[in-house]
Amino acid sequence: MKPCDYACHTGEHLVNRRLFLGGAAAGVAGFAGFTAPAAARELAAGQKRMLVIFLSGGVSQLETWDPKPNTDTGGPFRAIPTSVPGIHISELLPQAAKRMHLLTLVRGVNTAEDEHGRGANIMLTGRRAEAGIKYPEVGAVASNLLEKTNRELPGHVQITPGGGSGFSKEDAGFLGPKYASITLADGKPPADLLRPAILTSDADREREALRRKLNAKFALSRRSAQTDAYTESFEQAAKVVAKADAFDAGREDPKAADRYGRHDFGRHMLLARRLLEKGVTFVKVTHTNYDTHHENFDFHIEQLSEFDRPFSMLLDDLADRGMLQSTLVVVMSEFGRTPRINDRYGRDHWSKAWSVAMAGCGLKAGAAIGKTNANGTAVTEREVHGGHLFHTYFKALGCNPTKNFLPDGRPVPIADPKAAAISEILA
Amino acid sequence: MSLDLTGRVPATTETRAFLADKSPDKRSKLIDKLLAGAEYARRMQEYFDVALMDRRADAKVARAAWEEFLRNSFAANKPYDQLVREILANDGADPKTRAAAKFFLDRDLEPTIVTRDISRLFLGRNVQCAQCHDHPLVNDYLQEHFYGIQAFLNRSFLFPNAQDAKAVIAEKAEGEVSFISVFDPKKVQKTTAPTVPGWKPIADVKADKGKEYKIAPAKDVKPIPAYSRLAQLAAAITAKENVAFGRTAANRLWAMMLGRGLVHPLDFDHSGNKPSHPELMALLADEFAQHEFDVKWLLREIALSKTYQRSSELPKQSGEMPDDRYLAAVLKPLSPEQLGYSMMQATGLTDAFRKDLAAGLSEPTLQAKLAPHLGAFLRMYGNRPGEPEDGFASTLDQTLFLKHGDHVRSLITPRPGSLVERAAKLKEPGEMADELYLTIYCRPPSDEERRDIAELLRPAANRTKALSDIAWAMLASAEFRFNH
Amino acid sequence: MNAPTDPTKTRLLTELKHARPLIGCRFDPSGRYLFASAEDDAIQRFDLLTGAKTSLLGHKSWVRGLAFSPSKGTPVVPLATVQMGALGGGATSVRKPTPFTLLSGDYHGNLLWWNGVEEAPKPTRTVAAHDGWIRAVAVSTDGATAATCGNDNLVKLWSIADGRPIRTLDGHKSHVYNVAFHPGGQRLVSADLKGTIKDWDLGTGSVVRELDAKVLHKYDTGFAADIGGIRGIGFDAAGTRLVCTGITNVSNAFAGVGNPLVILFDWKDGTAKQLKPKEAFQGTGWSVGVLPSGTVIAAGGGGQGRIWFWNPDDGTNSHTVTVPANARDMALHPDGTAVALAGANGSCLLYTMTPAPAPPASPVAPAKKA
Repeated sequence: MKPCDYACHTGEHLVNRRLFLGGAAAGVAGFAGFTAPAAARELAAGQKRMLVIFLSGGVSQLETWDPKPNTDTGGPFRAIPTSVPGIHISELLPQAAKRMHLLTLVRGVNTAEDEHGRGANIMLTGRRAEAGIKYPEVGAVASNLLEKTNRELPGHVQITPGGGSGFSKEDAGFLGPKYASITLADGKPPADLLRPAILTSDADREREALRRKLNAKFALSRRSAQTDAYTESFEQAAKVVAKADAFDAGREDPKAADRYGRHDFGRHMLLARRLLEKGVTFVKVTHTNYDTHHENFDFHIEQLSEFDRPFSMLLDDLADRGMLQSTLVVVMSEFGRTPRINDRYGRDHWSKAWSVAMAGCGLKAGAAIGKTNANGTAVTEREVHGGHLFHTYFKALGCNPTKNFLPDGRPVPIADPKAAAISEILA
Repeated sequence: MSLDLTGRVPATTETRAFLADKSPDKRSKLIDKLLAGAEYARRMQEYFDVALMDRRADAKVARAAWEEFLRNSFAANKPYDQLVREILANDGADPKTRAAAKFFLDRDLEPTIVTRDISRLFLGRNVQCAQCHDHPLVNDYLQEHFYGIQAFLNRSFLFPNAQDAKAVIAEKAEGEVSFISVFDPKKVQKTTAPTVPGWKPIADVKADKGKEYKIAPAKDVKPIPAYSRLAQLAAAITAKENVAFGRTAANRLWAMMLGRGLVHPLDFDHSGNKPSHPELMALLADEFAQHEFDVKWLLREIALSKTYQRSSELPKQSGEMPDDRYLAAVLKPLSPEQLGYSMMQATGLTDAFRKDLAAGLSEPTLQAKLAPHLGAFLRMYGNRPGEPEDGFASTLDQTLFLKHGDHVRSLITPRPGSLVERAAKLKEPGEMADELYLTIYCRPPSDEERRDIAELLRPAANRTKALSDIAWAMLASAEFRFNH
Repeated sequence: MNAPTDPTKTRLLTELKHARPLIGCRFDPSGRYLFASAEDDAIQRFDLLTGAKTSLLGHKSWVRGLAFSPSKGTPVVPLATVQMGALGGGATSVRKPTPFTLLSGDYHGNLLWWNGVEEAPKPTRTVAAHDGWIRAVAVSTDGATAATCGNDNLVKLWSIADGRPIRTLDGHKSHVYNVAFHPGGQRLVSADLKGTIKDWDLGTGSVVRELDAKVLHKYDTGFAADIGGIRGIGFDAAGTRLVCTGITNVSNAFAGVGNPLVILFDWKDGTAKQLKPKEAFQGTGWSVGVLPSGTVIAAGGGGQGRIWFWNPDDGTNSHTVTVPANARDMALHPDGTAVALAGANGSCLLYTMTPAPAPPASPVAPAKKA
């Protein structure tokens, strides 16, 4: 089989807005020769799916999952009891507290990376960036490992607060643009979604066939990551068009829209639920912003009040529909916030001792693993990093993250081989 | 090359003529011809408008006046340093030259943004993250660099206020920048005089007490200080000794032609991010300065180079071929303007307008006709206003625009003079294939390609429809989308 | 009693140290005691006459709102006297203090009553006043009513004598940051995050008018959050002017990049004037008041701290004092000669506006016993 490689061979020299060091934006060997190892597709019976809620900017673990009231770092908020005796979370999440029996908390996270871009990269790929390889983000991996054959809907969807995401769109890394995300800015269905009457489905099919043929010919001698992304976008678009209804949250019951809240994040979470129900394998919803160097407490009141209700409603709905045992939900940020409160009532970047919250597929519900010391300045028990979390997600989803991808025939473990799943929280 | 220097694909007739031309120097003759043409000035105007203004809304300077200023500058081949000085030394008060002040005015003279963009566009340093502390990732970018630039601006403000569409830049005679690093535990407040990074601070010329102003501030009166910090900016940035200026300019012009800067990304020139070819970078920067920042000279040199003319086709047995080695040409996605103009040219709309205008045809009159049709492309493919064009992304919106959108469909629809109509009139399917390929791909089809297309066109019935479908498929293909 | 003050002579008199960052500070009506709340949930009482520092324990969260009853009419202990006494080292005589009640509101929404002059005060009453933070507490001119405001968007009036709720003033659409009684006794102003100031008639409980301080608020679209709020508020003694302060020109809410601003309202006709610091300063205006001379004084910070003085007639920033710490609250001494700042570095900084004294002259005459 002739390998089809990029012109640059050593990979995609793509400008990642978050990678300021120009020289470091190295890419990977071409991927078209890649075959997904059959072993990596071991699945429990039934379709699984994953939802990531990304609290952008670095949510404070002390104002959410691991409060330390009345300490020198705790700030003014209370810790409140939850539906699980012995587990307390911040008073800013009253609705989530009532659903702790559905949640699994990981409180001993230490990712040792205080910069937004690199921190996000660790949390989304399960590894530190390395020269010479472009690791795929969790959504691309989930979409790849969990897909059924003949997938009708795009497998990897991102719902962002507005247009112009700060993260690179090349989020499938060496898995290729087939697994790259489709972004629904502000959760809106795109314009021109429906095929106009004047374009018959036959005509559409024929000219698409010709377009593909022309692109295939061109790719024999000229190809780059960008041309691949371009041609792949038509395949993704076709899927979206075929299932246009799925992308319109306006078709949901208005009562649901009220329950989730009519604000942006409420709408986005309702759309996420809809997409998951319709069969999208992976959805990531981003909530902005939590980077509270100034007035940490006021801003967390505001942002978490937007988060708490729709998050809780979505958990309820997944549970009611019997989807929670086959859906993995993860709430993450790029890092947490400093226990030390600065002189402007702010908290700064902090990755040494923070938390991630999860729910659903393959996890022990109502559990908390990992402990921090009395004022949250260090992990005292069961310290984990991005690699452990990445293993845990895919183990929980019934995959084997120690198996390899084979980009261009080169074996690359799905998750960081130096880490392993957090077995204590796996069901 | 037509795309790089005129912003559109060549007309079919131009392509045919060039291919038929057997003279050995036809390339350099074409370069000269393109550089001399009015479309060159238009192309440069568009490119620099987007680079300088990031598609911001037109609030205080009308679009037409600004475009005219840029276009005239490039048509006259104004030296680049002079162009930048005209932009940076302008308070917008003189209606004749106000357009050049758009850089300041349509950013509302917002100090953080203006500081970042001056540093980024003219010095190749994006110091945005150095506002609150030394840049966390780039050792060369310090907080004092950020404020050194901002100190040129800190006494200036929009008069009478930032909301007024006729606002001009006024300046006080006093005021210092102050900054603390958020990482400094001692919270020391620092200050700096206006400084170009790497050069000495420019000390204020202190006036005698009572003589600080030419026109003193008063209610509804625009103050004019005896000594203006802002007035020092243009000269300081474009000074010959300030190598960063010429280097950044040369790098951006190289990137415009080659698809990638020697320093990459364009806004991050620093010692941890060396140019791919340091000697070439230094040579271009040096020569550009020596040639008085003559833009046409530099573009001509680049266009004539082997590097530029190298094909993007991969050799059969290629080993390691990173983009920054230029071993094959980088595939450059068309800019929103290039895409729009090229679609209009390829589908025949532009020629139809040319014919309509007849004797009245000139670059500006043609533009006036094309501009309304260009808008949809700019909206769909352009960056968000205020954000720099940042790499290539293929969005769902754009794909649906091509697949289902009215705009592209109406361009392809047969009408007098359009590509489809012209091709339908030809006798042989093979000729039709040639016309399609020469018009859209600017090359003749290979034998196999001609056969394939002819095959699709053989049935006489519905030939027009078949041509439309083929035209669409070609326009939507990667070969059209990317300049190679 | 009023010593001659000159803002340009403002100097640090003393630094009262505490281990944790300070949030709020107020003088009791006599000026003898300076109360400062800190991030350790406690309120410190500094007795300026004896030098004693007493911790008031009882809150389980942070406190910013501090107010006193009676609120006026108490004989003032001039700071000059105190200087000669405790601060100079060695009390000449310790007067029996005029009793007062301290009211403090915390971020759990609890309002606490204290006997302010007790040796080791304990809360004498606790009322669950608001759902969410109490952001400010004020006491009426007759000392009978307390007003509280907070994150439930409400303003509430309480009987100080027995803690009964008197009335709830509902109408703000965002967190209410500050509240103040008009010296005339008939009206109350409350001010919120979005820059709306409501002027309430205390008799009827209805809004008489609204004043616009919206320049002190912004919705930062980049971070999708509201920043601003009227952080400090005050009247001049006669009630002819209302001043408020906060942050404006915000270009980066989450890094606090913006400038302090004071807005001066003419109470009669509601016209507003903006008072800006002359020198560019990045930070928040935390507290503002009016000196007996009419000079407007504000304190704030962002990194370092500042005290600014403005001439209210022409709006010029006549003088500025650099303070080594972010000044997160300011209290005016009732004798009009000094201010205390709640420093983010844990110090309560006492600044006097009187020139440095000449060598001590005649001893202070003993005061009458109360």
